[in-house]
Amino acid sequence: MKRSIYIFSDGELKRKDKTLCFETKEGKKYIPVENTHEILIFGEVTINKRLLEFLTESEIILHFFNYYGYYVGSFYPREHLNSGYMILKQAEHYLDHKKRLNLAENFVSGAIENIKRVLIYYANRGKPLNETIDKINSIALSIKDCESTEELMAVEGNIRDEYYQAFDIILDSEHFVFEARTKRPPKNRLNALISFANSLVYTTVLSEIYHTHLDPRIGYLHTTNFRRFTLNLDVAEIFKPIIADRVIFNLVNKSIIKPNHFEKKLDGIVLNDKGKQLLIQHMDERLRSTIQHKRIGRHVSYRQLIRLELYKIQKHLIGEEEYRPFQSGW
Amino acid sequence: MHPTGTLIWYYYICPREVWLMSRHLTPWQENPFIEIGRLISKESYQRDRKEIRLENIVIDLLKTEGENVVIGEVKKSSRFEKSARMQLAFYLWKLNHLGIEATGKLLFPREKKKITVMLTKEIEDELEEAQQKIISIVQMETPPPARRIKFCSKCGYQEFCWS
Ligand code: SF4
Repeated sequence: MKRSIYIFSDGELKRKDKTLCFETKEGKKYIPVENTHEILIFGEVTINKRLLEFLTESEIILHFFNYYGYYVGSFYPREHLNSGYMILKQAEHYLDHKKRLNLAENFVSGAIENIKRVLIYYANRGKPLNETIDKINSIALSIKDCESTEELMAVEGNIRDEYYQAFDIILDSEHFVFEARTKRPPKNRLNALISFANSLVYTTVLSEIYHTHLDPRIGYLHTTNFRRFTLNLDVAEIFKPIIADRVIFNLVNKSIIKPNHFEKKLDGIVLNDKGKQLLIQHMDERLRSTIQHKRIGRHVSYRQLIRLELYKIQKHLIGEEEYRPFQSGW
Repeated sequence: MHPTGTLIWYYYICPREVWLMSRHLTPWQENPFIEIGRLISKESYQRDRKEIRLENIVIDLLKTEGENVVIGEVKKSSRFEKSARMQLAFYLWKLNHLGIEATGKLLFPREKKKITVMLTKEIEDELEEAQQKIISIVQMETPPPARRIKFCSKCGYQEFCWS
């Protein structure tokens, strides 16, 4: 299984023969390319063209985050898998309103299903969440009446509002309260955690898309403007509750992440380096944890599960099998 | 559309692969078995190695033994011997059309095994039929459904087919 590399220090990342070398004031670290599929950069890192060429050859993606931990962008090497046929199919499903809506609906209902799984999981552990679940169920009824992706986004937004309010019930912590969803900058610790964890899911999905024939610029729920990656945002909707949110709940409920892992910045709150590292470590563990997959007949990690989801989308686009979003088993 | 030797090979293993290949939906290269296959055909028989391209065919090895032209195809195991035999027969048939009489040798370096392949009337008929079938598979709107076979566990499409 290939690894993700996270760079927090400042230094220079360069090519050294057949390996990558990260050089800081303290010394050199070598990163073998065969074991690496993506590098996430948080520190101040210098790179050059020779490095980018080498990364393209080795099919490694770079994701950049700024000083505050916000996602900045990715170096997405030239596609190594290329099927004009798949791109045409992707475009066809984007341009045909019905086909696009069908996919967008699937992303929203997949997200809601997994949100409900999370809530039911905690309801079974004694948290008073039944009222939230009922409310979500009744809002979800309007999905099939939606006639545009904007309406779908609005329904999903309403459901997320209910869901986020429930975070206070699940967490029951004076240091981590939801208040309201605030993004740039997040206004409190919980929002900072959500934002950072979500951006890690977005980059993970993007890295997985790279190993399929899908073009990340053509999304269905999120409006495509041909400049930004959007397909990863669509697919991430399904996985955010069961990957990002579950990790957040664990970190807070087990007091692994604490108020001293945050700092005040830019009239907002962000994670400090230690906080980011803790979240990344637990997200990484979650992505590498496995579940039994019936059709494949063996255990697959959550990261692989994301790729399988992309394959299902490909099969839908080909016209082979209607796409049904992944539903968490517990 | 002209079927290639590779398509003949896949046709005898799994027709679904023929369809996927025809759309350039190439499998993910991280499957360790694909990696091994690439290495074996790269490193074995270095001495005789002259990759020959004729029209749309690629021949792994070519030598002359006296009067005879011998073409060889390197495979990693004899498990899919039928596929390998038909692929090589296809090359012989192509050469025949160019006026070159040749015999074929299938080479399994790992098993130190060689199989001689000759063009007969039956094989020619079979090839003819296979090519027709390949063309009709490629013309299908959707791929032939996935069927679980022994090859699936080593196939680059495994995760795609069974996701
Ligand atoms: S996984 Fe099995 S069904 Fe799918 S293409 Fe490969 S051999 Fe055919």
